[in-house]
Amino acid sequence: MCGFVCGSGAGVGYAVELKGVTKRFGTFVANDRIDLAVRPGEIHAIIGENGAGKTTLMNILFGLLQPDEGEIIIDGRPMVVANPRVAIGAGLGMVHQHFKLVPSLTVAENVFLGMEIRSGVFIDHRAQIQETERLSRAFGLKVDATERVGLLSVGIEQRIEILKVLARGARIIILDEPTAVLTPQESRELFQTLRGFVSQGMTVIFITHHLEEVMAVSDTVTVLRHGKKVDTRPTAELTKNELVQMMVGRSISFDRRRRETVTGDTVLSVRDLWCRDDRGLPALRGVSFAVRAGEVVGIAGVAGNGQTELAEVLSGLRRASHGSFRIGARDLTGASPRMIRSAGVAHVPGDRLVRGVDRQSTIAANILMGSQNTPPWERRGLIDWPLVRDRSRKLMERFDVRAPGPDTLVKSLSGGNMQKVVLAREFSHDAPCLLVDQPTRGVDIGATESIHDEIMRQRADGRAILLISVQLDELIALADRILVMFSGEIMGDLPGDDVSEESLGLLMAGVRTEPEEAAVA
Amino acid sequence: MSEASRRIFGQALAVLFALMLGTVVIIIVGESPVRVFATLFEGAFGSPERIAGTLLQTTPILVCGVAACISFRGGLFNIGVEGQLFMGGFAAVLVGIYIPLPPLFHVLLGIAVAMAAGMAWIAIPAFFRARYNANEVVSTILSNYVAVLLTSYFTIFIFKRPGGWSETSQILPSAYLPEIFSFSRLNWGLVVGLVLAVGVHLYFRHTPRGYAVTIMGQNVKFAEYGGVDIRRHIMMVLLASGAVGGLAGGIEALGVHHRFMEGFAPGFGFDGVIAALLANGHPIGTIGTALFFGALRSGSLLLEVDTNASREIITVIQALIILSVSAEFIMRRRGDSMAAERRWKF
Repeated sequence: MCGFVCGSGAGVGYAVELKGVTKRFGTFVANDRIDLAVRPGEIHAIIGENGAGKTTLMNILFGLLQPDEGEIIIDGRPMVVANPRVAIGAGLGMVHQHFKLVPSLTVAENVFLGMEIRSGVFIDHRAQIQETERLSRAFGLKVDATERVGLLSVGIEQRIEILKVLARGARIIILDEPTAVLTPQESRELFQTLRGFVSQGMTVIFITHHLEEVMAVSDTVTVLRHGKKVDTRPTAELTKNELVQMMVGRSISFDRRRRETVTGDTVLSVRDLWCRDDRGLPALRGVSFAVRAGEVVGIAGVAGNGQTELAEVLSGLRRASHGSFRIGARDLTGASPRMIRSAGVAHVPGDRLVRGVDRQSTIAANILMGSQNTPPWERRGLIDWPLVRDRSRKLMERFDVRAPGPDTLVKSLSGGNMQKVVLAREFSHDAPCLLVDQPTRGVDIGATESIHDEIMRQRADGRAILLISVQLDELIALADRILVMFSGEIMGDLPGDDVSEESLGLLMAGVRTEPEEAAVA
Repeated sequence: MSEASRRIFGQALAVLFALMLGTVVIIIVGESPVRVFATLFEGAFGSPERIAGTLLQTTPILVCGVAACISFRGGLFNIGVEGQLFMGGFAAVLVGIYIPLPPLFHVLLGIAVAMAAGMAWIAIPAFFRARYNANEVVSTILSNYVAVLLTSYFTIFIFKRPGGWSETSQILPSAYLPEIFSFSRLNWGLVVGLVLAVGVHLYFRHTPRGYAVTIMGQNVKFAEYGGVDIRRHIMMVLLASGAVGGLAGGIEALGVHHRFMEGFAPGFGFDGVIAALLANGHPIGTIGTALFFGALRSGSLLLEVDTNASREIITVIQALIILSVSAEFIMRRRGDSMAAERRWKF
């Protein structure tokens, strides 16, 4: 690996070099002694799962955050990037994930906002428009300089953000998940633009968690995982499968749980399910599967391939555009979350802070959610709070929630303990069907083990469990079958006791093969 | 320090700060702050009659405050309490004049119709909020103006009593809300307000629906996930809030004025919203803050008689309190969210 980077780096010098950059938030280490070397004139992709530390690293480079340790060298000069102005002065530009444009102003006005071209005390609108058009032509970023931004699509807005960066003289351009908001068509156009930049001698660093994008456009790729750098490699030397391995890793290996095979009746059956994501693009494309009682069915996939949307549709939080699903014999397509809950579905959501808990409320109030209208918690129109507290105390003990008592506010808990509150609530409903989305995200090893134990206990009790996880070792340890999702489709259905990370990796990368062939590859 | 006590401490400090600024203003207009504050206190609490007067002013502020509390609890902002009060008052007066009934029934019908009118007045903003997520702050504020001007139009052009004043004729005595003491117009409306505040507090704490609304107000996505029908609950919360706003008008109409006139209730609705904000949306706390605003109002009456300071000084002090309390609120919120960001954004 070193041969490539060191060899061609000799005498050339790097456009950007980070040495031993460390950033801590409290006890959480977001970046752990990261080294990064970006050669001038290359497209350098930084890839990693959510929370791997990509954005933090780029925010440090751009002066939005200060590192606790480490060195930043730009064009061979060591620098203290105290704020973004220093970074811009050094030739850096950053296009953020969330755009910062003024909708009521024109394209040209937005591009020059804060650095207006003046004639006397007035803004020279004509010069601004001409300059915007010049940049637009030079870099192939088609825009109408006189149009109001509020009327434009997201793809065009991103072009304007890039023009803003160019107008400030950037030669090293950082893009944070630039394709997250784009359609596939717009993404391809963006990649062409990026290619154009490097052909003009500029350097591009872009953050992503999509493998195909790395393969499609980058020269070099750096993989981050859990705040650490895994490796930097020339893209051409890598296969998608290797990249998946590097991203997902196998640092924690859980043993596959021994268990009896109990075959029960089908509890959850999903038929040809389609839905759209928040941008209106297809997120699920014809997903069909079934989960039986006493079975754990795992859903594997790189984050953002429709897994979250699947859980949302099945819990009533998102509309299916086509297809259906049943619990037992009952068709629940399009039913409200409350109906689905009362039909016997419990849901551990993927993002506990958004959906899983109310941080302002007590543990008891969080445990109550979903059963506030059912006896014995509700009696004669009133909530039996002493009973709820009592119940919460017992659940806190069983799920090892470390907190003074049921009246503790959830916001004072650590992430792992919050997650245990969510599990305590959802697993205690005695629901025949459990949707479990990323149960151990951000949870330490010890707690992870106990959460896994609890999932297996639920399985032994005859629940049908759909387990969505981006951690392969978790799926391999727990699941009876593993379905692999890629861009809204199920790529394969593998038996849990005969599966390798390699065969899963290929499917996760969108390569459709028979399991046997995959194992050979 | 616990969450709640930190909040109360912060706001007490903010009020103190506002009173200090008020002192500066009083000095600038050439009055003695000591004399002004002493007169204010004297005017508000100096004798049984004055205390009754203070409570008389407190009543509509309290009821309006409870109306606002109900909406705040659900994470919604009914700033249209003033308009609901006007509509409720006007509707109650019509019942009082035109539908003769035995005493108790007459009052009850008047109050019920007042609540229905308040509810009807918030129905449109509530529907658009629940169905299309149209910001209820804007629509309820705007509906205030319509309510005030519409009732004023009806009073002047349709229901005006013969004679000079822009007011309706008197309601029938059978519709009077009875007074508590012989020496004041203070009526049972105060008791209604107090019972309501306690009742709303208990409702939110101890019923499943109150729980659902509370959670919705704090994390709407969590409530949705937990099976709370968000649209329905938004609709219910706003309608209930509007009904209580209408009730405030009914109490003013049947208990105090016994008729409807232009400028029926000068800013009680707005004071109520502020009292509720100051109490952090807590109905019991609103009893205290409403009393505070009621005392400022009634104390300011004596202020004009006894000192050179004008009654507007009180408006200035009130505005200062609002400013500093909201500043404190925003600072605390920002502190919270920054702490949250430090922990969760990376």
